[in-house]
Amino acid sequence: MSNQRQASSASQVPHLSPAELSYLYTSLSLPKSSIRPDGRSPTQFRPLTAETNILPGTNGSARVGFADGTQAIVGVKAEVEKTVLSNETVDARSEFGISEDRGEQEGSAAVGGHGSWVQMSIEIPGFRDDDALPVFLSEMMRESLVGAVGSAEASDMTGGLKGRLVINKRWHWRLYIDVLLLSQPLSYPLPLLSLTTHLALLSTKLPKLKSQGEEDPFFDDDWAVAEYLYPRVSLSSAKHSARSPFVRPPVTLLVISVGENIIFDPNREEIAVADAVLAISITRDSEAGNLKLLSIRTVDPPSRLTQPGIPNSENVNMLGAVASTEDVAVLNPATGEEEVPGVWRPRRGGVKRSVIAEMVKTVLKKGGVGEEVLEGLEGVEVS
Amino acid sequence: MKSLRRDVSSNPQAANVTSKVFVRSTKSGKVQKIVRELYLRQDIPCSSKLCSICPSVAPADASGKIAPFVLSDRPAGTKAFPHGHYLVPDTNALLNGMDLFEHTGAFYDVIILQTVLEELRNQSLPLYNRLLSLIKTDEKRFYLFFNEFRLETHVRRGPEESINDRNDRAVRTVAGWYEEHLRASAKKGKKEKSVPAMVVITDDKDSIRKAKAENVTAVSLSDYVAGLEDSEKLLDMISEAREARDSKGSARGELFYPEYYSMSKLMTGLRAGNLHQGVFNVSPYNYLEGSVKVPAFDKPLLILGRDNSNRAITGDVVAIEVLPKDQWKSPSTKIVDEEAVTKNDNPDTDETEAIVTDRERKALQEEVKQAHGKHSEGKPQPTAKVVGVIKRNWRQYVGHVDSNSTASQAASGRRQQTVFVLPMEKRVPKIRVHTRQAGHLLGQRILVTIDSWDRDSRYPTGHYIRSLGELETKGAETEALLLEYDVQYKPFPKSVLDCLPAEGHDWRVPTSKEHKGWNGRRDLRDLLICSIDPPGCQDIDDALHARALPNGNFEVGVHIADVSHFVKPNNAMDLEASVRGTTVYLVDKRIDMLPHLLGTDLCSLKPYVERYAFSVIWEVTPNAEIVSSDFTKSVIRSREAFSYEQAQLRIDDASQNDELTESMRNLLRFSKVLRQKRYDAGALNLASPEVRIEAGDEAGDPLTDVKTKAMLETNSLVEEFMLLANITVATKIYESFSQTALLRRHATPPPQNFEDLINQLSKKRNMELDVSSSAALASSLDRCVDPKNPFFNTLVRILATRCMTSAEYFCAGAHAESEFRHYGLASPIYTHFTSPIRRYADLLVHRQLASAIGYEGEDGHAVIEGVSTRGKLEDICRNINYRHRNAQFAGRASIEYYVGQALKARGEKMAGGGTDTGIEEEGYVMRVFENGVVVFVPRFGIEGVVRLEDFVLPGESGVYSVGERRELAVHRTTEFDSEEYTLRVEEKGHSEKERGVNVELFQKVKVNVSSVKEEGRGAGKRRVRILITG
Repeated sequence: MSNQRQASSASQVPHLSPAELSYLYTSLSLPKSSIRPDGRSPTQFRPLTAETNILPGTNGSARVGFADGTQAIVGVKAEVEKTVLSNETVDARSEFGISEDRGEQEGSAAVGGHGSWVQMSIEIPGFRDDDALPVFLSEMMRESLVGAVGSAEASDMTGGLKGRLVINKRWHWRLYIDVLLLSQPLSYPLPLLSLTTHLALLSTKLPKLKSQGEEDPFFDDDWAVAEYLYPRVSLSSAKHSARSPFVRPPVTLLVISVGENIIFDPNREEIAVADAVLAISITRDSEAGNLKLLSIRTVDPPSRLTQPGIPNSENVNMLGAVASTEDVAVLNPATGEEEVPGVWRPRRGGVKRSVIAEMVKTVLKKGGVGEEVLEGLEGVEVS
Repeated sequence: MKSLRRDVSSNPQAANVTSKVFVRSTKSGKVQKIVRELYLRQDIPCSSKLCSICPSVAPADASGKIAPFVLSDRPAGTKAFPHGHYLVPDTNALLNGMDLFEHTGAFYDVIILQTVLEELRNQSLPLYNRLLSLIKTDEKRFYLFFNEFRLETHVRRGPEESINDRNDRAVRTVAGWYEEHLRASAKKGKKEKSVPAMVVITDDKDSIRKAKAENVTAVSLSDYVAGLEDSEKLLDMISEAREARDSKGSARGELFYPEYYSMSKLMTGLRAGNLHQGVFNVSPYNYLEGSVKVPAFDKPLLILGRDNSNRAITGDVVAIEVLPKDQWKSPSTKIVDEEAVTKNDNPDTDETEAIVTDRERKALQEEVKQAHGKHSEGKPQPTAKVVGVIKRNWRQYVGHVDSNSTASQAASGRRQQTVFVLPMEKRVPKIRVHTRQAGHLLGQRILVTIDSWDRDSRYPTGHYIRSLGELETKGAETEALLLEYDVQYKPFPKSVLDCLPAEGHDWRVPTSKEHKGWNGRRDLRDLLICSIDPPGCQDIDDALHARALPNGNFEVGVHIADVSHFVKPNNAMDLEASVRGTTVYLVDKRIDMLPHLLGTDLCSLKPYVERYAFSVIWEVTPNAEIVSSDFTKSVIRSREAFSYEQAQLRIDDASQNDELTESMRNLLRFSKVLRQKRYDAGALNLASPEVRIEAGDEAGDPLTDVKTKAMLETNSLVEEFMLLANITVATKIYESFSQTALLRRHATPPPQNFEDLINQLSKKRNMELDVSSSAALASSLDRCVDPKNPFFNTLVRILATRCMTSAEYFCAGAHAESEFRHYGLASPIYTHFTSPIRRYADLLVHRQLASAIGYEGEDGHAVIEGVSTRGKLEDICRNINYRHRNAQFAGRASIEYYVGQALKARGEKMAGGGTDTGIEEEGYVMRVFENGVVVFVPRFGIEGVVRLEDFVLPGESGVYSVGERRELAVHRTTEFDSEEYTLRVEEKGHSEKERGVNVELFQKVKVNVSSVKEEGRGAGKRRVRILITG
C-alpha cells in the first residue's frame, strides 16, 4: 500500500508531524509573501549545474544536478527507420473508389510524424521500469514532446518533435530518449528530468542528409556537419533580436499552490503541504517568441495522505482545558474548506479555477517564469 | 536560475586521449554515430636512418627487435633540394600521380601518412592497394607513418574546419615535426650532417600558401616533377582528372552527357527494383551498342548509342534504367567501327564536339529503321540507359597514338598537346591524352590509363604511363598482350626463389627409405610408367601405367607430379602462384606459374629419374568397370616420355610387344570404352577454333608452322584418364570437405542462349538443335552434318560452344550439390587435379586430397592450411577463374598475332617478286551483318570481319591496295535480309545479277588472306585482311 502511494503521488511523504505540516502550510500560504523553508522567493528555482554532450556515443546528452544532490542524465539516440504505411489498405481503397480523405490523412501521418517514433524510458533507483511513477513520468514528458503538433496544423511545427523526425514519406528517425535519475528521488523528479531532457534534445544532432526528396536516405559521414534537431538561428539574425527566440523543445514545470500562493520548483516538504500540484508544459512559439501552453496535468498531491492534526476542541486530553473560541473554524479562501488555524488537515486536492489561471499566467506572461527558465537553459552552453 | 558547466580542459589526461567521431551507414540502412577513442603515444618511430632518438624508444616485438628503419640516411637530392629530401605527399598528390610514385626513376624516401592512406582508401580502392604494395616493397623506401597516433603529430579538428583542411594541416604538421625531430636528433648525435628537406607535395594552392606561413616546404606535384630529370616523360604521367576539373570548373557550360543519379537515388532505385545493376559490355562489332545482363531478366538489356551508355566503359558495373517501350530497338545488324566513324575528331577542340556526331546519329538511325522493319527475329528488344556507375573497372590500356590527332609540327615541338590514343581493345573508346612527347610516341605501343570522363567531354581523359616499344616489334607486342590480359610476367622475386629446395637441380629422391621424405609414400618405382605429352613438353604433369592383376582385372594408375610437396602453403612461392593462378602459354613464350626449377625439373615427371608423385590407382575389370580406387603419395620412375605421335606409332607398331607397349595398348583400349561411356551419358564434343604453332626453322614458309591440332587416339587416351582421375578425386575430396572442396562446374546454359543459333540452323539448313539436355544437344549436334561440307559440323560446334557459359572453379559450399554438374563433360562432379605444375587449382586439390587420405607430410603433421577456410578459398576461386580466362584469351591473341606476323613475313617475301597477293583459303561465314560478314578461316583458326570494300565483285580487276579498297566502299550498296541471313553486295548503279556477290550464313567462301598495313591512318597498325573472292 505504501509503495502504491509512493508511486502515485511521486515522492515519499516526508515524515512530518501534523503540527510541522501546519506550520509549513501557514508560512507558505501567507498572503502575498510566502515564506519558503529555504528562503527562496516563490518563483525562484533551486540552483543547478548543467552540462551537455557528456556521452560521446549518443546523438545528444545532458546532465543536470540540483543543489540538493539529485542528478539526472539523459541520452538521446536516433535510428533511421522505414515508415510503414499500410499499402494494402491504400490499394484496397483506391480499388473500391472510397473517398481519398483517409488516404490524405495517412499521408499526413507520413508528413507530420507519428507519436510512437519517440520512445522514452525513465529509470529511477528503487523503481521497476513498470512501476507507476516511471511510466507516468515518461508518458507525461513524451506527451508534451510529441504533442506539440497535436492539432496537426501545418504551421505548427514549433516545438513538436515528431514532425522533425520525418526524413521523407518513406523514412523517419526513431528517437530513443533514455532518462536516468542518478540519485534517490528526494523530491518529485519531474522538473529535473524535464530540464535534462530539454537540454539533451537541444544538443541532439542528426547526421546531415545528403539524399534528396523521396530517395532512400543517405548521410554525410562527417559528424561535424551533423545538424541540430532543433536548429539554431544563424548568428547574424541572432544579433538582431538580442536573445534568439529559436524553437526549443518543451519544458515541463512543476507548480504548486498553497493557499492563494503559487510556488515554483517545490521541494519535498513544500509538495507535502500543497493544495494542488500541477505539471505545466510550455514551449516557445516559433516567430513571436511567445510562450505557448502545451499541457497541464494535475499530480496527486501527497498532502492528501498525511495524518490530520486534531483541533484542541476534539482532543480528549485537552477537553475543557482551552477556551472554545480559539478553535473557531475559518474558511480557507483557496480551498473553500473549513479549517481550524494551526491544525493540519489533509488536503483534498481541489483547487479553484482562479488559482489555476493565475498559475498559467505566471508561467506564460512576458518576463514570467517560463521565459526565465528557458533563458536560463539557453545560458547553458550547448556544444 | 543559474547554470554552471563543468570544465573539462582541466583534466590532465585530456591531452593524450582524444576521440574520432564519424557517421557510419551500414548496408542494412542503419546510421550510427561511431566514436573511437584514440590514445596518443610518443613511441612511434620516424623510421629515418638518420635519427638517433627513435631507435631507443621504438616499440619492440616479442623477440625484442624493432622494425627496421625505412627512410634512407642519404636521400636523393634534386636541384632544389641539394641536401636530399623526404617526400610527404598529400592525398591528392597520390590520386593524381600514383604512376609517378611507382616510377623507378624518382620518388624515393616517401613518408605516407596514415591520414593520407585512409583518405585514399575512401577515394579509390585500387590506388589504395597499389600504395600498400608500394609500402611493402623495400626498394622504394615508402614509410607508413601513423601520425594520428603520435602525440606531436595528431591534429585536432578545429571548429568550422573542413576535413580536407584538417588533413592538409596534418600533412604540414608532420612535415614540420619531422624537420624539427631530425634536427634535434642531429644535434644530439653531434654529427654535423645536414638534415634532409621535408617536402610536402600538394596541389592545393591554399595549403601551399599556409605551408609558407608555417615555414614548411610545399610544392605542387607538377612543380616538383619539373625539377627532376626526364621531367617531360614524368609530367605526362600525372593524372588529368584533377587538372581537367580545375581548369574547366563551372566555366564550361556545355555538357554532352546526362548527369549520373546521386548515389542515394541509385540505391533507392536499385532496392526498389526500378533500376538494375550489371556489368556493361560493349559489342565487339559495334562500339555504339552495349548490353548489360541483369539478374531481373533472362536476356541482357541493350544500350544503344553514346548518350545512353553515358560514359560507361566496357567492364564497368553500372546502374541502368529501362527505357520506355517506344524506344525499344533490335540489336544492331551493322558493323560499326569507332575509328571509321570518328576518325576526323580533333582531340583539342572540345567546343565543337557534340555528344553524338551526325555520323554517329546516322549510323544509329539506320539501325532504328532496321528495328522497325518487318522481321520477326528483329523484333524490338528492351533497351536501357546508364544512369550511374556503381564501380569503375578502368585499368591500364595498351594502345597507340592516333597519328591523325597529332599536330603536323608534332615531331619537332616539345610543347604539350592533346592526342587520341586508340586502345588495342576495340570496345574501349579512344582516350584523350595530354602529352609533351607526341612526336616521340608516334608509332609506339604505349600504356595509358583513364583518369576521368567528365560530362563535358566526348571522350575519356587519361594519361601516359610508359612506352612498351615500337609497334609490331615482338617485345612490345608480347608485353602489350600480357598487359592487356593482366598476366603477371615479371620474373619471380627473390623471396619466391628462396622457397625452392636448396639443392637446386641436384635434388634427388632420398635413397634411404628411412628418410622423412618417404613418410607415407608408396614405392611405385617398379611399375612401368610412361608419360604422353605434346612434343617438346618440358613440364610433364602426368604419367600413366596399366598392368594385369592375377584376378583378371587390371590395375590402372595415373601419376601426377607432387607439386604440393615443394610448394608449402602460405609461403612466398605459394602466394605468388595463387596470384598467377595458371601458366600462360603464348606461341613463343611460356609465363610460368611456378619457378622454372620446379616446373621443368623437380616436379616434372621426367623419364628415367625418380620423382615424387601423387597417384590415383584404380582396379578395373576388362570392360573398364571400376572396381575400386585408391589414392596415395608415391615415388615413381617413368620409363619413357612419349609425344602423342611417338606413342601412337609405338602402339600401332605390331612388332613391339614389350610390356610397356602392351600396357599402353591396354590403356588405349580402356580409354575408348570410357570415352564411349561418357558420350552415352551425354558429354559434348565441343570444338574451339584451335591451331597450334610449331615454331620451325626461320628459312621455310612461316605459314607451314601453323597447324590445326590433329587429334590422335593417344590424345584422347591421356584425356580420358585425366578426366577419370579428376572425377574420382572430386568425389573423394567432396566426401571429406563438404564445404571447402575445390570443384569445377560448368553451368547448364539457359536455353535462350541458343535461340539465335537454333533459328539460323532451322532457316538455313533445316536442322534442329535440341538443347533440352546435354545428351540431347550432343546427339543433335552429331546430326548437324553437311555431306558436301565436312567442316560445317565443326563450325556449328564452335558456334554452339559460344552460346554456353564458361566453366568455373568454386567452393563446394557455394552451390547446392545439384549445381555441381559439369555440363560439357556430363559429369555430376568434377575438379582439376592433373596439372598442378601449371594450374593453381590443381595444387589446392592436391593439398585437399592429401588431407583427405590422411597423408601426414614429411614432418608428421598434416598440412591442411588453405583447405579449411572457405572465405579464402572463394577469393582464390575468383582469382583463378579470372586468370584462367585471361590466359586463354592471351593464348588466342598470341596465335592471332603470330599468324598475322607469319602472313606478313610471307607477304614481304612475295613482295620481293611483285605484289603481295595474299593466300587463297577456304572460309566460312559465321555471321551476317548489314554491311559485312564475319568469316572464319579454319586453316589459321582466325575469324575476321569482311567489310563492303573487301568483297571482290565479279569483273573486278584483281587486288587493290587498302587505300584503294577503302574508296570502293562508298560505291557499294547492299541488300540485307536479316531473316534469311543473306547479304548481297553490288556496285551502285550496277544491279545486274552477275555483277554482285551473294553470301549467306554458313556458306563456304573462297577468301584471300593477307596481312596489310592500315593506310590513311598511318599508325602502322596491321590487320589480317580477308577478301571474299567468290
